[in-house]
Amino acid sequence: MNSSLERSWKAHKLIERLGQKLNRQVVGSLVACVHCGMCTESCHYVLANPDDPTFAPAYKGDQLRKIFKRHYDWTGSVFPWWVKAATVDSEKDLEDLKDIAFGKCTNCRRCTFNCPMGVDLAAFNRVTRGLLTYVGVMPDGVSVVSKDQWEIGNQMGVLKEDYLDTLEWMQEELQSELDDPTMTIPIDKPDCEVIYTINPREAKYDPRSIADAAKIFNVVGEKWTMPSEGWDMTNFGLFSGDDELGGAVARRVYDKVQELRAKRLVMSECGHGYRSTRCEGPNWAKYDVPFTMESSVVTMLDYVTSGRLKVDKTRNSIPVTYHDSCNFARSCGMTEEPRELLRLVCTDFREMYPNRADNYCCTGGGGAMSMSEYTPRRLKSAKVKADQLAATGAKIVVTSCHNCVDGLNDLIRHYKLDMKVTQLVNLVATAMIMPEKVKPVAVPANGATVLSATNGDEAFALAKSEKPHLLTLDLAMPGKSASEVFEELRRDPALAGLKICIITGRPELRKTIYDRAVQPPEGYLDKPLTEQSLLTNVKKVLEVAHHQS
Amino acid sequence: MNEPSAHLHFASHRLQEVALLFMAVVYTIRLIWYFRFPAAQERQAPTGGGWSTPDKGILFSLLIIATPWEMESTRKRWFLWCQFVVFHLGVAASIALSFVIPYLPKLLTSTVVVGGLQLILGLACLVGVMRLVRRVGNMHMRAISSPDDYFSLALLTVWLGIAAATAPNNVTRGEGLQLTYFYVTAFFLMYVPFSKISHYLYYPFTRYYLGKSFGRRGLFPIRRGPEPQA
Ligand code: SF4
Ligand code: SF4
Repeated sequence: MNSSLERSWKAHKLIERLGQKLNRQVVGSLVACVHCGMCTESCHYVLANPDDPTFAPAYKGDQLRKIFKRHYDWTGSVFPWWVKAATVDSEKDLEDLKDIAFGKCTNCRRCTFNCPMGVDLAAFNRVTRGLLTYVGVMPDGVSVVSKDQWEIGNQMGVLKEDYLDTLEWMQEELQSELDDPTMTIPIDKPDCEVIYTINPREAKYDPRSIADAAKIFNVVGEKWTMPSEGWDMTNFGLFSGDDELGGAVARRVYDKVQELRAKRLVMSECGHGYRSTRCEGPNWAKYDVPFTMESSVVTMLDYVTSGRLKVDKTRNSIPVTYHDSCNFARSCGMTEEPRELLRLVCTDFREMYPNRADNYCCTGGGGAMSMSEYTPRRLKSAKVKADQLAATGAKIVVTSCHNCVDGLNDLIRHYKLDMKVTQLVNLVATAMIMPEKVKPVAVPANGATVLSATNGDEAFALAKSEKPHLLTLDLAMPGKSASEVFEELRRDPALAGLKICIITGRPELRKTIYDRAVQPPEGYLDKPLTEQSLLTNVKKVLEVAHHQS
Repeated sequence: MNEPSAHLHFASHRLQEVALLFMAVVYTIRLIWYFRFPAAQERQAPTGGGWSTPDKGILFSLLIIATPWEMESTRKRWFLWCQFVVFHLGVAASIALSFVIPYLPKLLTSTVVVGGLQLILGLACLVGVMRLVRRVGNMHMRAISSPDDYFSLALLTVWLGIAAATAPNNVTRGEGLQLTYFYVTAFFLMYVPFSKISHYLYYPFTRYYLGKSFGRRGLFPIRRGPEPQA
């Protein structure tokens, strides 16, 4: 061991910072571990790496514990070797600590639930991450995302113009889809009942979920708004362990809610966002939040059970299972509400085992999706989740977390499972019975037989059973993304001759279709559509097809 | 029953009192140290309705060692949980024995009491051996074990074995066993505050804070779904 004179500045600062971050709960977890090993097999990393003891929760915990013992506890200060106390001196020591805290633990809290002593390893692993972040030793992804959240105000660096543009686009899509100009996405409307905040992933990659939520709010007649600032309810402070970032981000959201005098803050389906904003945010920001905060799962459940939203569950007949986000289930107690809602909007819900607080992490938690250097390790540890999913026999896995959507998609691809990932909002939007005034526009027949499908799965099934000459595909369709449906249609040998015409109001989304390694669509139409332009294009595509044949 | 010698009297009375006093002082200092760390505040609005409240969470949390079905780790490895129970009953019995011999020796004239004590202490000693084997033989256990972990377990195992042999309190063949038992007990009492054996001092606090927070968050008591169909 080096003397403190040889200790690097960062190591010195980390040790000093540890002293400032110790509270009774953390110290309890640091001193109470009896090294009984009961938590070992609760960790998905251990299950995937049974021959590597460095994945054991207690081993990982010991990496901070040894520093604590060496510098802040008795026996460790006097007889360090006796209790395996040790210090950190070099950059390498810090890198090793980083590898454990960021790369070998997703902070899923499963071990916490299995420790007889009440050691909250996930909580103090977050402390370890915070110490490392404090001295600038963290994975690049964590540093980039944290910077974006500090500087741009959201963790994906979505610019305000782009965010507002996306909302406007979704509003147009909604109005055009339902032929109802009263369908709106209000922005910064004061004195609303509900202010709706999202995960920036929605604005960037999955705007359909914003439109689905907007549809639901409009149909139930909710007095709602989305904020122009403070709209990102996710919080990278949870993953980086940086309480200052955590507090600042949470405060941005709280301040906007108060500025607009909204009664309730509703958060879209995101486990870590919900946990950060509702549970940890008030602690980090040291602020007693004066308004109600709830997940959109609770809001939707309330709409359905109170009769404000009518649903037809037979529209979601494909077998589904539910994956509990760790932050939802093991940090916020949200296990029953999503299941209750699922049973109301799906006909075939199958539980996965283990479930609820015993469920396994999607393995993309704790910010793991932003740390590409640990991807092989993450995917290896995902085996346990893949087996769990496959055992359900379900074709769709539902999760109330955007992080889990990415984590699950990744492992489904890696382990080649025949499964799709979706969220409750998409299922609710599909099952929702539209009131008369918002029935979709009838497509003009003009001599052709027109069949319509309300979502991707329906479209796929209809295409296979009816073998139409042409299929028009709206990029803003409900449920799964249109580009995925497009690829599926293209890859199905039974649909080899099918002509596809894409319709969208966002030409820049062409790439989501044309980037796919399949034959491009035969037609492409921009919105707004007129009856004439639709017919002309449809005829053109079919004529070309006729000549070719 | 013979009168104890002055040496045994010292070992079973004064030595124990000093060791206990020492332990109490160190524990007090330890608790003062612990309570000087500020408790983190939980500001989030309560969740969980009536099912889960901070009070219920605290109770659930504190009782978790007596409710093995509540944790997957004990549910799946019930044999380890049984070992835990036997081992801790043995420790309690040995501590009780160190008071019974000097203050209530008459109790040990009952063969039932002695037999019961020896059974518990003997089984606990056996569990101690099994735990040592597991700690040495299991790669994961070795990786997390410090010299203190091995020594504390070995010390307790030996102490339980000596206690089992001492329980009849028979000095007709000399006081060696009793003296050994009381010296080991005194050492044990003085060593405990510096070792991992002192975990029971923290147990109520870690579990209290975890239960309070998890009760407020709707996590404790844990809600479970149906078990899988066969
Ligand atoms: S179960 Fe708890 S006490 Fe046992 S090794 Fe794990 S963290 Fe330590
Ligand atoms: S928090 Fe989760 S990933 Fe981390 S050690 Fe515990 S069980 Fe493993």
